[in-house]
Amino acid sequence: MRPAVLLGLAALAFGAAALAHDAHPPRPEAAAVFPIPPPGSYRLPAIKPAARGSVLDEAGRPRDLLGDAGGITVLALIYTRCGDVCPLASADMARLQDLAATDPAVGRRMRLVTLSFDPEHDTPEVMRDFAAGWRSADPLAPPWAFLTAPGRAEIAPILAAYGQRVDGGPNGALNHVFRAFLIDSGCRVRNIYSLDFFEPALVLTDVRTLLLEESGSGEAQDR
Amino acid sequence: MPMAGIRATPLGRSTLAFGAASALLIMTGPVRPDETCQSPYMAKITGIEDFVYVWTLGVDGLGDGSDKLVTIDARETSATFGKPIHVASVGGRHEAHHGGFTDDRRQFWAAGLSDSRIFIFDVATRPATPQLVKVIDDFVERSGGAAGPHGAYALPGRMLIPSLSNRHGTGRAALVEYSNEGDYVTTHWLPTDAEPNGARIEGTADGYGYDARVLPRRNVMLTSSFTGLENYMRPLGDLMKDGEAMKRFGHTMVLWDFHARQPRTVLSVPGVPLEIRWAWGPQNTYAFTSTALTAKLWLVREDERGAWSAKPVADIGDPSTLPVPVDISLSADDRTLFVDTFMDGTTRVFDVSDPDTPRQIYEKKIGSQLNMVSQSWDGKRIYYTSSLLANWDKTGAENEQFLKAYGWNGKELAPRFAIDFTAERLGRPHMMAFGATSLYAK
Repeated sequence: MRPAVLLGLAALAFGAAALAHDAHPPRPEAAAVFPIPPPGSYRLPAIKPAARGSVLDEAGRPRDLLGDAGGITVLALIYTRCGDVCPLASADMARLQDLAATDPAVGRRMRLVTLSFDPEHDTPEVMRDFAAGWRSADPLAPPWAFLTAPGRAEIAPILAAYGQRVDGGPNGALNHVFRAFLIDSGCRVRNIYSLDFFEPALVLTDVRTLLLEESGSGEAQDR
Repeated sequence: MPMAGIRATPLGRSTLAFGAASALLIMTGPVRPDETCQSPYMAKITGIEDFVYVWTLGVDGLGDGSDKLVTIDARETSATFGKPIHVASVGGRHEAHHGGFTDDRRQFWAAGLSDSRIFIFDVATRPATPQLVKVIDDFVERSGGAAGPHGAYALPGRMLIPSLSNRHGTGRAALVEYSNEGDYVTTHWLPTDAEPNGARIEGTADGYGYDARVLPRRNVMLTSSFTGLENYMRPLGDLMKDGEAMKRFGHTMVLWDFHARQPRTVLSVPGVPLEIRWAWGPQNTYAFTSTALTAKLWLVREDERGAWSAKPVADIGDPSTLPVPVDISLSADDRTLFVDTFMDGTTRVFDVSDPDTPRQIYEKKIGSQLNMVSQSWDGKRIYYTSSLLANWDKTGAENEQFLKAYGWNGKELAPRFAIDFTAERLGRPHMMAFGATSLYAK
């Protein structure tokens, strides 16, 4: 369950108006537990290739967005100055990391990646400070990288490949529709989440579905 | 300064969320109008609509004779208010019907029912003058035989295309997914008695399709059912004389596990259920539809045990006169439902604040024939168009083709402007969608 205060405020926000920033923040029932199908009981067809690209880690070292091949990646695109949906999404990522830590067999085969699309502000140093507030210290939790880019020119092709449009908004805000991506070990996007469906239990079920598929024991075979 | 994350305790995370949501409340401000019948995944217009895009069937000998996306100027301060200001012709006639925006509202996908082409317009670069940027012309082949793409419904990063038919022209239909880039992803066939795909079937599963709409917070999708290409491309007069053909219409709705894309229950809704409108209220777990051949409003809802059922809750006009309900539009506060009937060209307004007992509060004849209705998020502006299908529209003097705009004050409609699509040499206006320059502000 999401923290009650968070949910209540999200509900207030929804009541105020629809957002330019995102289609719908979660309603109070967003955390209501609808039946989640068992892992492997459904298919997650490949939607498109998952782009790689050169980014910077929290120490400012160049690395590939998806890092070494292997494992399931949950990628969230945010910016740290974001005042509405991005913190909610980061809270969901944190809950996902906590949840995955309870199942080490799954947790060690997945990783979380948060990528900022605001490189001018979100320097590696800023991302390091941001990460410190979110990342679990549990050794059983899957790794969570907080990445940025050297500049707009470097981040632009990555955003284009993921279909993530970012426009300047009032007071320095960056208008965008929040999306997170489930990426398999073959670097294919297998699901795209809005905040409505970015429920950690559901995402972890999707991760398990892909792991079952990769082990050949699930019904969920990509075509 | 980056927003400080609080990891240590749940209370800490809540504190962070408080700061985040407070900022959001400040940012949001007053109600921001938008049409009420679009996908909940879509970005919203941040002001009153500037434009109404009209997906329009071409008419032989009228203008260029081609299907086209027409931009109507809806800015009341504009010198061209209430006028068509741009035409994006696609070349040829494809039985233009429905369409929809992508989730980021940067593209409008418009479908053709006859040859299964899907036309993708860029509406973000210059919102007043959409440009055709891509045509999907292998829908039947890529989907594994689905045909007659009916509309386009935004999902995160994807589009859901419900089909009406298949390569054989019958009513067996599918839901087809594409990426926002226009690449095929997958196909889900509607359940049938022979292939229920795990669904519980109340009466029969006809496999027909029409609308598809999602209620994200309950992880459910509803689909409705119409008929196949062999019927909808046939002249209506001939069709109605063919008793066997008239049996080949949909009488079902399907409740799906949306995340798994698996059908859960096939509901019996006789009489061709068409448009689906989910209630918007966070406690309102129900949807309305109307049945074209039996002229009834139906309510589909979830009970306390999580079971879904459908029941008729009101007549629309006098069903014995076959008024043929077509488009419906539910207000953002879930209190008012506009219902158009094609044959008598009339719109009826129901008070649906008690969804079990809708009560008609107003009716007005809009024209000799009537199909689509779109309303703004604040419910103050209502737009109507006239065309149903090229071969089903009325003929002669009754073949009025128009877009008419009204203001709604909660009691009656007041004319704002009207456009004669025949006089303007545009064609048969069908699906409407709103645009706004402010959505793409740099």
